[in-house]
Amino acid sequence: MQNQPVAVDNPLPPSPNPPSSSTVKPTELRRDVSIWGSFTWGYADVGADVYVALGLVIGAAQGAAPLAFLVAGIVYILVGLAHTELAAAYPVSGGGQYYTLRGLGDFIGLITGAALLLDYTICISLFAVASAGYINFFFPVIQTYSTSIGPFKDVNLIWAAESLSLIGLLALLNIRGIRESSLFNELIGATDMILETIVVLFGFLFAWKPAMVVTQYNTAFPTTEKFFYAVSVAIISYVGLESISQAAQETRRPASIIPRTSIALIIVVLLFALSFPVLALGILPWDTIAKREGDPVAALAHEIPYIGFLAGHVAAILGATIVLISANTGVMGASRLTYSMGEFQLVSPWFNAVHKKYHTPVRSIIFFCGIAAIQAIFAFLSGKGAMDMLVNMYAFGATLAYLLVFVAFIALRNKDPHAPRPYKVPLNIRAFGMELPVLAIIGLIATGGMLGIVLWTHPLGRIAGPGWVIFWMIAYCLYRKKNKLPLLGNIKRDWEKDHIAILTSAEEFEYLEQYKMALEKKAVTRG
Amino acid sequence: MSLEISLLGALISLFFILVLSGTLWWMLHPHAFVTQAAAKARQSVLAVKKIMVPTVGLPHTERSVELACRLGRKQMAEIYLIYILEVPRTMPLGVPLSDAEKEAEAALERATQIVLLHNLPMQKLIHRARVAGDDIAKLAKDMEMDMIVLGIQEEAGSHIDPLNKTANAILKIASCEVIIDKLPSS
Repeated sequence: MQNQPVAVDNPLPPSPNPPSSSTVKPTELRRDVSIWGSFTWGYADVGADVYVALGLVIGAAQGAAPLAFLVAGIVYILVGLAHTELAAAYPVSGGGQYYTLRGLGDFIGLITGAALLLDYTICISLFAVASAGYINFFFPVIQTYSTSIGPFKDVNLIWAAESLSLIGLLALLNIRGIRESSLFNELIGATDMILETIVVLFGFLFAWKPAMVVTQYNTAFPTTEKFFYAVSVAIISYVGLESISQAAQETRRPASIIPRTSIALIIVVLLFALSFPVLALGILPWDTIAKREGDPVAALAHEIPYIGFLAGHVAAILGATIVLISANTGVMGASRLTYSMGEFQLVSPWFNAVHKKYHTPVRSIIFFCGIAAIQAIFAFLSGKGAMDMLVNMYAFGATLAYLLVFVAFIALRNKDPHAPRPYKVPLNIRAFGMELPVLAIIGLIATGGMLGIVLWTHPLGRIAGPGWVIFWMIAYCLYRKKNKLPLLGNIKRDWEKDHIAILTSAEEFEYLEQYKMALEKKAVTRG
Repeated sequence: MSLEISLLGALISLFFILVLSGTLWWMLHPHAFVTQAAAKARQSVLAVKKIMVPTVGLPHTERSVELACRLGRKQMAEIYLIYILEVPRTMPLGVPLSDAEKEAEAALERATQIVLLHNLPMQKLIHRARVAGDDIAKLAKDMEMDMIVLGIQEEAGSHIDPLNKTANAILKIASCEVIIDKLPSS
């Protein structure tokens, strides 16, 4: 049984026997995420992208950095619109994994889930490390500290310990429940957005020189390979939208709220993602920013009149907070995604256990925070190369997952036309007896191209990324074989019944009635 | 400190803040929560896709056309305008009734203008029958109508509205939803 809705106030009594793989009855996640909470889950990744990726993108794209962000932004809009439609139509916690499972079957659902899990665990480790790095702005001694452990040189043990502590803190916070971590996101998200807006406004008003942007574009255009590398790094901000989908099952009235938060996020993402590189290249030479890969926003803010004297401190606080909530988004995403995959018997139901007191998927949280901690340890043991590996794998996971989501999107439009779609991506045509969403087809081609770019420009991504997916495929095959479930086929599911349960649970009664009427009409048509 | 403010920079700042604040305001104002009972009521009306409106060319029947259009506007319902020519049993159904047919066409033309104002899909039909009410109910069933909207007016003085008896027949026989719009005698 899938997605059996159970009121939170009336949870299922504990089963006297451990549930078998086919009789899992999970307690439903609490619906505590508000509009602002839903938005800030996604926004966390956007802000983090600016703090972590701005220097990297400008370093590679040089004077063409705004163009690199724009190219990535166009693909991002297409991905965003598809996710908006799907998250509103299917407000469950699986996100891309659920859409591909429903549209393309169990095995593809597993691959998408594995790609997204890769992104979420790296999100935790990468941004926890970055957050600790920004905290160390106030403790320069720690920044310069290093030691040797056996064959590993220049290991910053204190920074590593800080990062691991942050991962542990986030794990505890998420085990306590989504209400607490959502509130955490909401407050920090709001503060960060205000502060980023001040930087942008003051920057454009008092320090920005348009001629400098044009000059740098004309004189410092990168090579083709560097430009595409920059585009693929800029793409990491996509994961923000997936986070909104991941929180769908805990969002109040998701079908009504998610289209708004998702579309708002697309617009806000573009505003910030395009503003910062344009602003940066109008204030500083590209190579100056490139040299400040660790704190490009601080370097930028330092040049702005009135607020420049506070630049270092403000940027450090901003950086530490926004990347920390991004890491928190990773914890939430990984645990919710595994919860969904467990429900659908793509991974062991062992992950499904919900904390008796807090109703949160405690095992998933601990497991993936543990993996993130291991990734962070490897990062510190390997130096800068490990950070590159994390970014490489991040880009691989995102583009693979979004490619499969576009295929599922097109399939679901035709396989499940009766599901109410509170938001529908425009530009659709009928041909060959099918509904063809033009923008999704363009998005499919674009993300396919992006995946090609990632494999071309990220040597580690093309090895470690597929390696991770193959690992989960092997685990999937072993689990399905052990439980005598189809390996490449699908478990039979009553999607219509599940969908009614989802909409009922979400209290989306308008869409529920629409769906019931559509099903009745379908039944009459079929006689 | 001397400050140089570029016009383009100021415009970008203004654009940035307007788009950001407008987007967030829109996001934070979703439509109100709807209970299941209310949702069911709303959706059952939105499910009305085919509305039949009998007309006899009198003002109150034309008003019923306007009412039907407003009922069906949100869901783009198809409006079926129908004029029943009642033929007495003393005459064959195919008897020439050119004056009555012209009157029917004129009535349907006026009703059509009302529907066109709402940009709704429509069909119109002149149908001969012995008893209007029975025929309207039968046509509604055959044509799988979701609703019949019928305008009637209180009988006053010597003027007798033929739709009053029709209304009774439709209410008894029709298998779809029926809305009777009864106007007081003016």
